[in-house]
Amino acid sequence: MSAARPAELSFTPAEGGIEMCSVRVGETLFGVPIMRILEILDAPVTRPVPLAPAYIGGLVHYRGEILTAVSLRTLLGMAAHAEPQDLLVFEGKDGYFGLLVDAVGEVRTVSPQEFEPNPSTLEDSRKALFAGAYKLADRLLVMLDPARFDPVQLAQGQLSR
Amino acid sequence: MDDLIREFLIESQDGLDRMEQCLTELEDRAQDAELLAEIFRSVHTIKGTTGFLGFSRLEKLSHAGENLLGLLRDGKVQASGEMITALLELLDGLRAILQSIEVTESEGNAGEDAEMIARLQAMAERSLAMAASEIPQKKRQRKRQVKKREAAAESRERGLPEAKPAAAKQKLASFAEEPRIVHSGAAESTLRVDIGLLNRIMNLVGELVLTRNQILQAHSAEGGFAPLARRLDMVTADLREAVMKARMQPVSHVFSKFPRLVRDLSQQLSKPVRLELDGQETELDKSLLEAIKDPLTHSVRNAIDHGIEAAEVRQAAGKDPEGLLRLSARQQGSYVIVEVTDDGGGIRVERIRDKAIERGLITPQKAAQLSDRELLQLIFLPGFSTADKVTNVSGRGVGMDVVRTNVERIGGKVELDSRPGRGTTLRLSIPLTLAIIPALIVRSRGQSFALPQGALFELVHLTSEQAREQVEWIENAPLYRLRGRLLPLVFLDRLLAGQDAGNRDACYIAVLYADGRRYGLVVDGLADPEEIVVKPLSSVLKRIGLFSGATVMGNGEMALILDPGAIAARGGIGLNAEEQEEAHAERISSSSGSEFLLVEAGDEEAALPLEDVLRIERLPRARVERIGHSPVLQFGGSLLPLEDRAGILADGEGAEAEITVVVWRHGSRHVGVTVRQVLDVAKGSPLRYAGRGDFAPGVTLLKARITGVIEVERVPELIEAVEIAQ
Repeated sequence: MSAARPAELSFTPAEGGIEMCSVRVGETLFGVPIMRILEILDAPVTRPVPLAPAYIGGLVHYRGEILTAVSLRTLLGMAAHAEPQDLLVFEGKDGYFGLLVDAVGEVRTVSPQEFEPNPSTLEDSRKALFAGAYKLADRLLVMLDPARFDPVQLAQGQLSR
Repeated sequence: MDDLIREFLIESQDGLDRMEQCLTELEDRAQDAELLAEIFRSVHTIKGTTGFLGFSRLEKLSHAGENLLGLLRDGKVQASGEMITALLELLDGLRAILQSIEVTESEGNAGEDAEMIARLQAMAERSLAMAASEIPQKKRQRKRQVKKREAAAESRERGLPEAKPAAAKQKLASFAEEPRIVHSGAAESTLRVDIGLLNRIMNLVGELVLTRNQILQAHSAEGGFAPLARRLDMVTADLREAVMKARMQPVSHVFSKFPRLVRDLSQQLSKPVRLELDGQETELDKSLLEAIKDPLTHSVRNAIDHGIEAAEVRQAAGKDPEGLLRLSARQQGSYVIVEVTDDGGGIRVERIRDKAIERGLITPQKAAQLSDRELLQLIFLPGFSTADKVTNVSGRGVGMDVVRTNVERIGGKVELDSRPGRGTTLRLSIPLTLAIIPALIVRSRGQSFALPQGALFELVHLTSEQAREQVEWIENAPLYRLRGRLLPLVFLDRLLAGQDAGNRDACYIAVLYADGRRYGLVVDGLADPEEIVVKPLSSVLKRIGLFSGATVMGNGEMALILDPGAIAARGGIGLNAEEQEEAHAERISSSSGSEFLLVEAGDEEAALPLEDVLRIERLPRARVERIGHSPVLQFGGSLLPLEDRAGILADGEGAEAEITVVVWRHGSRHVGVTVRQVLDVAKGSPLRYAGRGDFAPGVTLLKARITGVIEVERVPELIEAVEIAQ
């Protein structure tokens, strides 16, 4: 996997503010561009899939489809826990997919000037997932590019490794 | 893409489809003015529209064809095999351009057209000159096969390049894969519906079914809800049926491809073949129709390449030199049966046996134990496909395993029947629809899984004590003795967890048959059977290979749908074990005597072959209903015809009195037989007629007494019974 390429991101910071939905996993605050989120489900029922790759958080029933949910916790190498998680629904290559996070926070508006690409010191596995960060006044908001969490994409990454 | 162009494409494809059909028919009815006019019209329409839309390449090409067709239509020249071939090539050319327009929105390179145009022109001139000199006399009374053979011979003499039809076919194949264009009979009463939209409706209906299920389960506690639930139930059923109908298409959509294929193959292999199509109006879900296209094409190729012999061989064997290939479709219950029948040389089992031994699929010792029927099934083994002589058309018995896998993937079954010297029949049983299937919900490690009923044969309950004692092991392989036969077992929890679940409590064995493998799947518990709506899984989860989809159950819980064939393969259930079993079963049921259920029917004892018995039911007499004079039972939405030869139903006892019904299976039919009581299971021996030595049908020697065997074949089909009643 190559390093982050902000120029290629479809949500390249443009002039004016960008609305980010902040989500929390463990202690880290992440930002997801709000335009990319189809829906946020509040603690949906997930159904585990035996023998699935570890990053698969389970199946979620969503509007007549059964979508595959990716667990951001396990992707980041954190232990899974039993507490209910919130789900962000995205449109992926293979239809809808979901991203399970510990909690969904407020919507924040960030400006492109605050954006910085991934630091070179970041582990490669993290560089593959993170798209850079916004420097907020009090803390850093780590950017997530939904396309990188598409299970199809993740599976390809796994195969190439 | 421009709407106008899109419409033009759809219409032209339809026109070309019709033209193809007509051209292949023209071969048999060269004089048919109507056919010729229809073909002419198709090409003419394309030409007219293309000029208007500015597709000059299409226009030139169709113009060249129109010239020749005009002569044909006006009766100035006679259609010859050569001409039809040329016209079919023209058709492929037109199709290729249409496809290019669809994909790239341009007509593509016109380079190859000049040659075809020149050829068509030359042909028109030549045949015009010939027609002028020829005195029309003979032709008509000539027998078809002779003409065809000549046509074939002719094309051979002319050294018709072999590669061309193949290339054309490739084009054809790639064209067939194009999913966006909806083919339709183009009759006034039909409507083109976008498949995407239909799928969406189907999804919504699925959702409605789920809601219905939830309401049905929620209401059972309270009262006033019931009428509402019933109404919802009714609406759902209607809507489901209507939408499913919209998805149904006649099999002629697939069948119509075959006259051309058969014609090409027949010429290429110089074997005259007549194609008969039957039951074209039979309808099947669109997606299933697509799914059987390849297996059918494959089977047709096989039949012509390997099944039907060369004309000389056929003549020597006293057969019509022209081979017969029959494609038929009919609906039978909730299945559509598609058959590919040829009257060729049949499959020689010795060859299959030798090949299987040579390929190491079976040992010579084991092969010696197999019956002909079992040997025949070896053709479906993966790896049987042999490639020692790959012809253009098909390899030797290529990929019958693929045919079977494809058909079983959509919940269907494949059977092969062959009589040496007389022909082969390949029978595909395809479910009417895939979207909603009956399934048994099983539980393992606290999770629910759906098991498609199609693969399920029976269920065995084991108490924890029985589970400990009756599951036997050879090394690491768990086995269960099911009526004296060893059934290999797969523990679902072990398979899914990748480790032993340790001590086992009470469990169930679901006896499954899939992909030619018979095994028992051990699960922790059972829930009610349910009609489930199949939802696709994302590709990541499909890759696990054990689940064919997912569903939402009545209680709102999600369940993964198990794929019985894949589980068997993963669980290491070999086909060999199954063959052994079959051979074993065969031995039992053949001369050495088979097991019978001894029942008291009427005043005498009678025997039922145990192999066919599914279950024994005790139920109140009031449950029995009648269609006409035929007694029937209703079980979970399916009808069970009853055989009451003992006259038990007519007994004077009250409606509350319980009766015993033995439910048994004959092929795909289920039949119930009323009996006074079930007595015993015993081994029976066949009886021979004194002096003649042949077996007496319908009787067996049970416990040293002659006992009549109830033959399920003699129970009339329900439909027949209904007809009689009317």
